[in-house]
Amino acid sequence: MRTFPAWWLPPGVPGRAASAAAELPPHARGAEHPGTAPTAFSTTSVSGDLRLRFPTPDPAFARCLCDHLVEAGARLHERRTDSLVASLGRAGARFLDPADPIRKEALDLLPPAAGLSTAMAREVLDGMARDWTADRLARLVRAQFPDPAVLDGFRPGPGGSRVRAFGHRLIVQLGAGNVAGVSVGGVARALLARSPVLLKPGLHDAVLPVLYARALADCDPGLAAALAVLYWPGGADTVEAEVLSRAGLVVVYGGADTVKAVRARLPATTPLVAYSHRVGVALVGREALAAGQANRTAMDAARAVAAFDQRGCVSPHLFWVEEGGALTPAEWAARLAAAMAALERDLPAGPAPPEVASKVQQLRGTWELKQAAGEGVRVFRPAGVEWTVAYDPDPAFSPSCLGRFAWVKPVADLERVAGLLAGLRPFLQTAGLCGAGARAASLVEQLGGAGVTRVATLRRMAWPPAWWHHDGGDPLRALVRWVDWEVE
Amino acid sequence: MNGTRLRDDLIGVMGAGVGTPLPDADFDALARRVWAHQCERNPAFARFCDARGVQPGSWSSWRDLPPVPARAFRERGLVSLGPAQAVFRTSGTTGAGAARGEHRVPDLSLYHASLLPNFEAHLLPGGARLPMVSLIPSPLEVPDSSLSHMIGVVEAELAAETRYFVGRDGRLDEHALRAALRDAEDAGDPVLVVGTAFAFVHLLDALATGGTRFRLPDGSRVMETGGFKGRSRTVPREELYAAIDSRLGIPPRRIVNEYGMTELLSQFYEPVLAGGARLHRPPPWVRTRVLDPATLEPLPPGREGLLCHVDLANLGSVCCVLTEDLGVEPPEAEGHGFLVLGRNPGAEPRGCSLAMDELMTARRGPIR
Repeated sequence: MRTFPAWWLPPGVPGRAASAAAELPPHARGAEHPGTAPTAFSTTSVSGDLRLRFPTPDPAFARCLCDHLVEAGARLHERRTDSLVASLGRAGARFLDPADPIRKEALDLLPPAAGLSTAMAREVLDGMARDWTADRLARLVRAQFPDPAVLDGFRPGPGGSRVRAFGHRLIVQLGAGNVAGVSVGGVARALLARSPVLLKPGLHDAVLPVLYARALADCDPGLAAALAVLYWPGGADTVEAEVLSRAGLVVVYGGADTVKAVRARLPATTPLVAYSHRVGVALVGREALAAGQANRTAMDAARAVAAFDQRGCVSPHLFWVEEGGALTPAEWAARLAAAMAALERDLPAGPAPPEVASKVQQLRGTWELKQAAGEGVRVFRPAGVEWTVAYDPDPAFSPSCLGRFAWVKPVADLERVAGLLAGLRPFLQTAGLCGAGARAASLVEQLGGAGVTRVATLRRMAWPPAWWHHDGGDPLRALVRWVDWEVE
Repeated sequence: MNGTRLRDDLIGVMGAGVGTPLPDADFDALARRVWAHQCERNPAFARFCDARGVQPGSWSSWRDLPPVPARAFRERGLVSLGPAQAVFRTSGTTGAGAARGEHRVPDLSLYHASLLPNFEAHLLPGGARLPMVSLIPSPLEVPDSSLSHMIGVVEAELAAETRYFVGRDGRLDEHALRAALRDAEDAGDPVLVVGTAFAFVHLLDALATGGTRFRLPDGSRVMETGGFKGRSRTVPREELYAAIDSRLGIPPRRIVNEYGMTELLSQFYEPVLAGGARLHRPPPWVRTRVLDPATLEPLPPGREGLLCHVDLANLGSVCCVLTEDLGVEPPEAEGHGFLVLGRNPGAEPRGCSLAMDELMTARRGPIR
């Protein structure tokens, strides 16, 4: 059983190393200050062979940490965007360099920490870290700010006024339920927006932000000083209340209950950027079912399902397959099943958590009974719970229980899908689309109208770029605070 | 297959009481007859079994019965079908908008034969006949609740007198209940208080607000059932029992947890009144196994997995039911009971995809 110290406190934070050098790994040691040090630590197993260890913060420590971050964050105001992009990108690129020990450590820890297979962990790290490089961050800045210099100083604005994008005093980022790597992107964006950031990662996404903070400290200690990664168990209300009361902006990832609870606890004046859990769906048009296409389509679909073991908000739950093509939707379901089986060799599923395996068994068994009842249902699956494809002739939307469980449903015409999404509007995010030919543009209009915020090919579905409008919002602009300067 | 004779044979086994062991060979012979009866009534189920290699000619043991997920009760006519004397529905514990499970019971006599000796042995042993204070709505109020039905049968057969203090809307008649508890205190005769964990929390919160404490007479006891899923306030069990002790004067050793579900016509109780451990004990006509969630293979004692029950009282539907509850059979229990760990003990979300249950809870409309 290994233990990973799952926190990062910036140098100079009172109490950072006060809890005895033995408690902290070398990277986390710093100046010692008495008084507010976290003296209690707890550990939590996240898998059979990995424990996370973290200090148990109390409100006094949380206050002290926030003060420190605010102070370090004030210095970010003077930094230029290109220098921030360079530093953040240098730290991020280390996760792509096969020779870099930090990538090796990430690849070593990610499977047990995130519950992914080794191969999937590599796929996730490669896909995520691609967006942490300087090139991609620079593109993100340009995509969000036609005049990126507004981040560096006042620039001419409309009507003779001047404008500048300021950072917030402190961004608090709560990452409940993040898939691995998502919180690093959020941290990088907060720092790019000149805000210090306190990240509370999800239990299964704690490794990468800590490693990222270390990498950042190696190349730009001043920037790393504006970042803290601290986990506290849900229910540590006094700590959370302290932290939330200090935030200039809160970013929360989580289920409906989490988002609602955080919203309720924020001061009225504190803005909230909330990323709720979402549903992805996919549309497979006739053109994608032609001989020579169908297998490729099925493999792209299988990869979209398999990515993050279907835990992403971008992951498809269901494929609507158009009737009247070279394959029937049921036949295509068999192709998808074959692709899932093949992919299981290259990108195996991680161990299914019991609660997910349980739901897979419930759905599988029920639909296998329906198959036996002659309802036109077909269930494809291996002996274990690595993946499941369930063909159901009823085109109505069905949510997946996740764990690489994909529904396949027939639809007479892709034009009907927007209607089938009725009622799902608040939960929709990515729609995969293929084989629509010239109809694509009109379908995308319909899907957007139905509440979808991103349409992508099946192959790109799981991997949105750094500059995507996550849940329809601005990734970087949402994190800044505009200051207008009007003169006569 | 003569269903009436089979029913009578089962009722005979149940009538012998929970203290009469049913040897595995006898259980197996009955299970085989029950299964054959079910295959005859439900050809789809027979094909489902056939696809798993369980055919009339190939029976080797009840252990080969394919588990049927509890979820299947939510699909009309799939595993619970045909004429029924009663239709029980799940309370929709997996989300407000989810389709409710439906258990059609063709013959209530078997249900009653199963529930009465088990209830009596664990809550009213030694011929005790206590007045019952019910925080569970009466079966007249909620005829499709199997729990209410059970309490109604206990009222008719085992209780001295029964008063109901929770209505069909779940509202507690606090005023009447306080008066009844005071009367019980004054009379000095022990009572049996039955309710869901949630109803107890509601009551205890109300008593705490007013600073009220009752000391119910010695010999009083509690049957507490059900979890908190979908409720706004959840309380750890130890805390709940401590509060019952402090507010009602009934100590934890006289609080019995019942584990039951609409999909099963038999129940499981902790034998605490007899001084037994806090383990749920199947009656002789039920066999409970802990299965590997990934493979559905049986797990040895000490390993956590999914609880799967073979309940012969389920003659009219399917008897081998796979639950969503995680449980474990402690090695020291030596096959005499299991611990229920619940559906999702302590798990944090592992991603940002909206899972089925959350979506069902969030949406109001019916969804599959």
